[in-house]
Amino acid sequence: MSSRISRRDWLLSTATLAGASREAGATPTPGQRAGKPALQVASNCEMCFWRCGILAKVQDGKVTRIEGNPQHPLTQGRLCARGNAGHFTLYDPDRLKRPQLRVGERGEGRFREISWDEALDWLAARLTELKEKYGPESVAFFPHGVGSSFFATLMKAYGTPNSAEPSFAQCRGPRDVGYALTFGRPLGSPEPLDLANARAIVLIGSHLGENVFTSQITQFAEGLARGARLIVVDPRFSTAASKADWWLPIRPGTDIALLLAWMHVILSEGLEDKAYLAAYATGLDQLREHVRNFTPEWASRETELPAGLIRETARAIAAAKPAVVIHPGRHVTWYGDDTQRARAMAILTALLGAWGRKGGILLRTPVPRGHFDLPPFPEPKRGRADGAGDRYPLASEEQGITTGLVEATLTGRPYPIKGWIVYGQNVLESLPQRERTLAAIARLELMVVVDILPVEQTLYADLVLPEATYLERYDPPHIVETAARPFIAVRQPVVAPLYDTRPGWWIARELARRLGLEAWFPWRTPDEHLAKIIEPLGISLKELKARGAVSFEGRPYIESRKPEDGPLFPTESGKIELYSKLLKELGHDPLPVYRPPADPPPGWLRLLYGRAPVHSFARSQNNALLAGLMPENAVWINPQTARAFGLHDGQRVVLENQDGRKSLPVTVRTTPGIRPDCAFMVHGFGLRAPGLRRANGRGASDNALLSRVATDPLTGATGMHVNFVRPLPAEES
Amino acid sequence: MARYAMVTDLTRCVGCEACTAACSAEWDVPPGHARTRVLPTGPVGEFPRLRAAFYVAQCNHCDRPPCVEACPSGATFQGPDGIVKIDPKLCIGCGYCIPACPYDARYLNPVTQKVDKCDFCAARLERGQLPACVTTCTAHAKFFGDLEDPNSEVYRLVYGRGAERIESDEVKIGPNVYYLGTRGEPALVREKFAPHPPQIPSSGQWWERVFKPLAFLMAGATFLGQAIAFFTQLRKGESQFDE
Repeated sequence: MSSRISRRDWLLSTATLAGASREAGATPTPGQRAGKPALQVASNCEMCFWRCGILAKVQDGKVTRIEGNPQHPLTQGRLCARGNAGHFTLYDPDRLKRPQLRVGERGEGRFREISWDEALDWLAARLTELKEKYGPESVAFFPHGVGSSFFATLMKAYGTPNSAEPSFAQCRGPRDVGYALTFGRPLGSPEPLDLANARAIVLIGSHLGENVFTSQITQFAEGLARGARLIVVDPRFSTAASKADWWLPIRPGTDIALLLAWMHVILSEGLEDKAYLAAYATGLDQLREHVRNFTPEWASRETELPAGLIRETARAIAAAKPAVVIHPGRHVTWYGDDTQRARAMAILTALLGAWGRKGGILLRTPVPRGHFDLPPFPEPKRGRADGAGDRYPLASEEQGITTGLVEATLTGRPYPIKGWIVYGQNVLESLPQRERTLAAIARLELMVVVDILPVEQTLYADLVLPEATYLERYDPPHIVETAARPFIAVRQPVVAPLYDTRPGWWIARELARRLGLEAWFPWRTPDEHLAKIIEPLGISLKELKARGAVSFEGRPYIESRKPEDGPLFPTESGKIELYSKLLKELGHDPLPVYRPPADPPPGWLRLLYGRAPVHSFARSQNNALLAGLMPENAVWINPQTARAFGLHDGQRVVLENQDGRKSLPVTVRTTPGIRPDCAFMVHGFGLRAPGLRRANGRGASDNALLSRVATDPLTGATGMHVNFVRPLPAEES
Repeated sequence: MARYAMVTDLTRCVGCEACTAACSAEWDVPPGHARTRVLPTGPVGEFPRLRAAFYVAQCNHCDRPPCVEACPSGATFQGPDGIVKIDPKLCIGCGYCIPACPYDARYLNPVTQKVDKCDFCAARLERGQLPACVTTCTAHAKFFGDLEDPNSEVYRLVYGRGAERIESDEVKIGPNVYYLGTRGEPALVREKFAPHPPQIPSSGQWWERVFKPLAFLMAGATFLGQAIAFFTQLRKGESQFDE
């Protein structure tokens, strides 16, 4: 078997590990060591947002191994590759180590190391200055992850409404809005799917398996092992497709046509859950009328799927009702009609009677939590600058529109944005149209990045604040209401912060103190903060910290609901709204309408992207263990297409998109597992950050090729499957 | 005595490589190497009629292990529980066992200069823990236990559900890692990853690659030892030997 990493890489990794050990003043000893039993600390993972329960083994002050916590109610001791590799990020010698103040030009990467006192005094002075000159609304916050909540409090207290995370406009925003329009509630995360009990599972673009959320994989595999039928709709032969009873290699962008045809078959053959719809739904007549003409034959022309296959799969789905999971997906910002596609999936779910039923979509069980009595936040004088709740009427004002803030920064409208604080995300990889992002950054008077690693955006920062990793810090507890058994799980430091890094809570609170905003941080220690939150739960701090997580009885099905759980369908009508009056009032389609996508011109391929199981976003590529498993990505091309372009498997190419943007060189992987009109690559590679010595320049960035977006008129979310590329032979030095 | 065996359900497996990562973290496996690997078998076929599965490869702890035969130093041995182990104190890093394994389950660790492979996490078993790959598997696809115990899960999966061995016409050496698959996955694995005949060095090769270097090493060591003794003596002076 050929090794997938060069000898140079290995030398680098061992050399740098030795370097880290000197810095840290201890020997890194990943793996089991004979002798004294190690101390085990329960916490939860942050290698991705699923936050599986972990047990970290600590020996002589070093994390030697991370395993799953068997007592965690959702993940039950299982952990993906990234979770197992967490301490390789903790001991990554490339980590940001001390606060740095820029001394060169933006992008040049020249910094001066400064003390925390100097850094925080400097930042407090800049924030005070911006507030006086332009008002507090001129500062925008770009958070991601659980640790951001302390900064969110700080920004609200400072007086800006402008906070936006990519998990809305670049990920699951349209999905949550589409389901909320229909059922009255967004789905949330982790998705409340009863996959283990499902008798049919439908994946539309969702590539579970390559996209790994530990417990969802466990339940997916369990459901399949118990005989659930699997239907996978994907232009690519994904891992899930290889397990499917039916793989539907759909023409990209035509999913709504397929969904309408499925509804047509179900309603015209009387296969819907009639009693459920009679009890809980409104708008069935309008829906029936709407889908009357959307026959499988009609959809076949749009989707390039055989009509017989559409009919057969519709019947198979209906036969399993109500135990059907139409997987709502997660990253769903594809074509700009994404809220309407989510609506179509929600309506289909309703027709099958699957919401609140065993084997379908689980209902949320509320978990009470304690709050400090904080002073009211100052009322911003100006509304949000990103158009959420205004130009984009259904965008979440809590989560915001990242790209809307970029736009406001660029144009100065509706008012100037002069400062960015970025926490836990990398805006150059998480937001499309990176030229616009860079142009916006160039207009800023203040750019602050709080991060773990020297990712590319740190090169453009005026101030870089090095945060402690999830293994070195306290974060707010993970409270999950969307699991069959709701639970609370702790994030507690396993070891003390390395180098001169600090936990996010400390950074936010110290900054608040300097800005005179300490009233919003009325706790002295993380324990005090945690104790307040768990006050109403009747569990002790000691027990929670020892076990890592505590779960409660869930009421996930309609028949198990109690009055305190609130209304079943908190829509305006109190019912499932198949037909949306709200959308009608807003001037949008009250029922999902299919509009054909623009196909790539001859000689061009639609660029699709997705995940690999061993990496998270663009943030794990420098992890020694994970880079060993997958050091770079490849571009998938159908052999027929490869022949047309004169390419062969293993060849190095550069991808050029419709706007002339070019990727770094990347290897061609010819495979029949993709439609001939598409190219696919795993997201998160092709990073241009010299400080990431292992990841820098490896593979190609899909994001660098996403210069065009299709904006969803309801949510402002950026559809990104609308870019076309062509492979050109790479000229490498 | 037990007969340890592993069963991997390839219908459940999603190829996420959690097993590889857990194993590498557990055993300090250097990047680019692995004690257990997840290898895609496909896709094979013509679009859109395609098939694919993952092969989770590792040491099979065979009943008749050719690696034991190939090892010149006696470092590779099989315990009474069937686990094939390498004693690092005896391993000379000659690498003879590597091509001897029909399943390519062994690698030369560039850090320790010893050959390494899966040992069913023997150290964990002694502590009463399951192998690291089994506990972490996100798809709950790995099962471990005693094939001689009719109450064990692996017994049920092998004798009840027909978990299969990956063998070829030439190679039938009694592997104790079994594979389940309701969609023909073991056959897909055999198509692409059939075990190859063991390559065991001939006696001539043995002399060239093991005994000759060993003989030179021993001769050299004798000479070096004498030289050291001589110079030590010179420096310390005769008087010290009189005491």
